[in-house]
Amino acid sequence: MTEIRDQETAADDAPTSPWRRGFRALARFRAQRLGLRMRILLTFSLGFLALSVFLAAITYSFAKSTLIKQREKAGVEQTYRDASVALNALASASANPQASATATINVLLNLGVARPVLNYHDSWAQNTLSFGQEVVPAALKEKVFANEPSMMVITVKSERVLVVGVPLGAAEGAYFEFFSLTEVNDTLRSVGLSLLFAGFITTLAGAVLGSVASRRAVKPLGDAAQAAKAIAGGRLDTRLETTDDHDLRLLANSFNDMASALQSRVERDARFASDVSHELRSPLMTLAASVEVMLARRDEMPERAQAALDLLVADVARFQGLVEDLLEISRFDAGAIRLHLEDLLVAEFVRQAVAVSSLPQTPITVTERAENLVIQVDRRRLARVIANLIDNARLHGGGEPEVTVSEAESDGEPLGHVWIAVEDHGAGVPVEERNLVFERFARGAVAGRRSSSDGAGLGLALVDEHVRLHGGSATVEDRRDGEPGARFVIELPAEEVGV
Amino acid sequence: MLADVGTRILTVEDDERIRTAVKLALEDEGWTVDEAGSGEEAIELFQRGQPDVVLIDIMLPGIDGFELCRHLRKTSDLPIVMVTARADTHDIVAGLEAGADDYLTKPFAPKELSARIRALLRRIRPMSPGHAKLIFGDLEIIPDEGKVLRGGVELHLTKTEFRLLVELGQNPGRVFSRESLLDKVWGYDYFGDGRLVDVHIRRLRTKVEADAANPRHVVTVRGLGYRLQS
Repeated sequence: MTEIRDQETAADDAPTSPWRRGFRALARFRAQRLGLRMRILLTFSLGFLALSVFLAAITYSFAKSTLIKQREKAGVEQTYRDASVALNALASASANPQASATATINVLLNLGVARPVLNYHDSWAQNTLSFGQEVVPAALKEKVFANEPSMMVITVKSERVLVVGVPLGAAEGAYFEFFSLTEVNDTLRSVGLSLLFAGFITTLAGAVLGSVASRRAVKPLGDAAQAAKAIAGGRLDTRLETTDDHDLRLLANSFNDMASALQSRVERDARFASDVSHELRSPLMTLAASVEVMLARRDEMPERAQAALDLLVADVARFQGLVEDLLEISRFDAGAIRLHLEDLLVAEFVRQAVAVSSLPQTPITVTERAENLVIQVDRRRLARVIANLIDNARLHGGGEPEVTVSEAESDGEPLGHVWIAVEDHGAGVPVEERNLVFERFARGAVAGRRSSSDGAGLGLALVDEHVRLHGGSATVEDRRDGEPGARFVIELPAEEVGV
Repeated sequence: MLADVGTRILTVEDDERIRTAVKLALEDEGWTVDEAGSGEEAIELFQRGQPDVVLIDIMLPGIDGFELCRHLRKTSDLPIVMVTARADTHDIVAGLEAGADDYLTKPFAPKELSARIRALLRRIRPMSPGHAKLIFGDLEIIPDEGKVLRGGVELHLTKTEFRLLVELGQNPGRVFSRESLLDKVWGYDYFGDGRLVDVHIRRLRTKVEADAANPRHVVTVRGLGYRLQS
């Protein structure tokens, strides 16, 4: 598998140029989808960068042309001035053109002209070789000899210079002069540097602005996300603040509408289960009272009526139990359970709870260490847990369970918890069904095999919910003594009291 | 164990079938039962002849159970049992604060109701001669006459409030847990509702204390229960 993949990658990579690879990387980068904040930030930064580059380019080229034009103008004026000086000098010169030219150059040098070049009757004169007639471009010479004043920018030994040439009409010659552009270039360079710096600052400002803007743009989304989280966590009355902003108001309004709809639906569902159970209580009241009246006269009834009455009594009790359980479960679902916690001696509590259960004679074993353990519980709710576990043993565990209270331990180390275990003599619960038995109406394979007309109902589901609400856990395992049967254990936090 | 012959129970319940079934069952237990279908009817019956116990369903058309309870409490100290289909904390505490002595949630077994009523009608044990009067500062309790005086002025307590006060006063200084009070006053086992005690203590304080918010006589002992002191 890996080999094939490697080959594929190799085949893929082989013909690609670095460019294509770079392009692909960029595509991948885009495909990763930048977050909204990052995109806003990038947009702002790039926008400001582009703007600053554009402005800098305009400024630079404008500055450059202005500076160079000024320099050219100055150069041309200077050249004409120097040319007229040269003409005057030549007028009073000797017959030897070379000597005259050299003399004229010297006159100019004395006047402070740095780089003059003179042509007089085909004789050249100049100050230095580096800025001599050989350096003057042929094209320029041609133009000037054709009686057309011209100029040109050239590079001499890495120095940018301006060469201006004017014909000396009357004197049969031409005058050239070199002007350094170094100064202009230096100025342009510093202008460029300033512009670069300004561009950098602008881009940075763009990034800052973008980050602020993105934060502002994303804040409503963050608020909405937080509100949605709160709603998911059960705080159904969470709403978004309404704003003056058109676009955001739409979001806030739809969000709030959704939240309201959800809230009313959840509340309606919770209320429905609760209402149903409450409504059922009234007819049950009549049933319970009537059944009692009939029971008082059971002996006067014919045998068949007695049998029917017994059925009625048993199922009214079952019905009543189901309605109570349903109501309690709906309280859990509505989050409406409020525990009345008290510190109770666990041994005393279990004895009392078993005494009011459906099998009050159930034997109870309390280990010595567990006698002084105190649990913090809602006694009426936890008594239901014990009663439900005993009911479960009675209905599905072959009756006659045993209750054990012991200190929770792991490899002989006490855990600061107490175990209340109910062991029965039923078929036990297979490993794969041990979580399922605590589900609501857990029937299917579990109850099917465990038979009994009373079904699994909500009893064990309530055990689980109650115990968890008390910070404990409910589990089922095999009997400790190896005989067939299940051991339902609830583990609760417990403390030892000083006697 | 049959009830005292001639003990009259007034049941106020708007659901006719429930009313009839409960009446049948209570009569089996030996009580004499009067029926009222609404709060207004109950007030009328009440004025004609006082029953010994009133059983009030909270959900009534017209005057509701709370209001009826408050109304009866203005003129009478007789035991009142509230019946509610909603076991929510709010209804139960509101019912007790309106003056009910005990409550049951539907559906209850009529035998259970009978046991509750018998507990509420239980008389105070006669005092030994030396303890004919219990005195706690300005508070004077005369159990045999069913009288409580504060600063010489007689206070009007319901029967249950009086029994609670006497229970607390019989062993001066002793702290009574909620369970023991539930057992002695209401006849409940280990799983009685502690709120019965708490609300009754609250009601008792508004009557026997000069300032119910800062009780001097009926004091709470944190985590343990209540105590009566001078």
